[in-house]
Amino acid sequence: MAVQRSDAELARDARSGSEAAYRELVARYATPAVNFTYRFVHDRALAEDLAQEGFLRVYQRLNTYDPERKFSSWFFQVLRNVTIDYLRVNRLPTKSLDALQEEGHRAAAVDRESASPEELAGRGELASAIAAAVSRIRPDYREVVTLRYQEGLTQPEIAEILGLPAGTVKTYLHRARKELAEILSAQGWGPAATEPTAGKTV
Amino acid sequence: MNSDTIRDRNMERNQLDAWLTAEQGGDEDAADTALAHLFAAVPKVQPRSVFVEQVVTTAWRWRARRQRLLAVAWTAAAALVLAAAAIAYFAYPLLGGSVVKAIAYLSGHTVPWLIAYASVALHGWLTLGHVGAVIAAALMTPGRVAAVVGVELLGILAFYALHRIAGAGRLGDAQV
Repeated sequence: MAVQRSDAELARDARSGSEAAYRELVARYATPAVNFTYRFVHDRALAEDLAQEGFLRVYQRLNTYDPERKFSSWFFQVLRNVTIDYLRVNRLPTKSLDALQEEGHRAAAVDRESASPEELAGRGELASAIAAAVSRIRPDYREVVTLRYQEGLTQPEIAEILGLPAGTVKTYLHRARKELAEILSAQGWGPAATEPTAGKTV
Repeated sequence: MNSDTIRDRNMERNQLDAWLTAEQGGDEDAADTALAHLFAAVPKVQPRSVFVEQVVTTAWRWRARRQRLLAVAWTAAAALVLAAAAIAYFAYPLLGGSVVKAIAYLSGHTVPWLIAYASVALHGWLTLGHVGAVIAAALMTPGRVAAVVGVELLGILAFYALHRIAGAGRLGDAQV
């Protein structure tokens, strides 16, 4: 049985010029990277471009990577810097919460019209509602939520990536969960509701 | 809708209920674990199938370009060193004496001037410092010192507030 090489080993080999090692590293982190950037730009093509830029920067700076450090922490730190650089230069249009909500309802309605009941059930309305709620919380909260719950990183790792004290990350996570719970409860999701109304006016 | 789908949906609802209940009850660890379970069901954006290949190609193109640049830089540096060595070897008997003479002539004429200018500048600074000290001694009373420090503190506070406002708006304005 082939033993899976660690990220640090792959990074070391990629640095020495192994294309296969770099390819494996990219394959491992492609989905997390695109999902991370997508949470900020809400555009799949742009998210892929940013992720690609992140991977290139990682490759260019492999000589600065310390193998003692967890690769994922270092990788997300680089990717975050790429995303922030992009957002600073190309300010995305600011939208009000009402506009976002309206847009979400329209998208949900179109989704329901075009999908069969089986597809809808398969995709999971609750999962979509959570994804939509994440896109509505504050960007710095969204960042910690994405890293914690989507990428499964620990609080100290998130603190290292974001350059924040561990206590601040804990507070952000707490507040982010509260906000998410409020948004979802307001939409009818929760212990009291039997059937949620995704299109319900909040 | 098959039974697996119904079971999955019920499981999601149970996890959601568990999370919201833990959240309301202030149980941090339980809320954290429950939301982590719930997030596993959130659909992920899958990159296009060509994404990995595209990334690797881009990185390797950059690598090839960098290697070409490095090769050119090394060649240019080696050529320069060789040219300098050749010039030194063949032209030194002709130019060596003149170069040494020119350096000695320039240093002999410029160093005294530099010292003179530095002395004048130093004298000017000392005079200005003295004048400043006399004016300060004449104007400053405890009340005035307190006022100046107060204004400076206010200024620092204003800058700090501006910095906080700018920091808060940095990411927040980019995307809701």
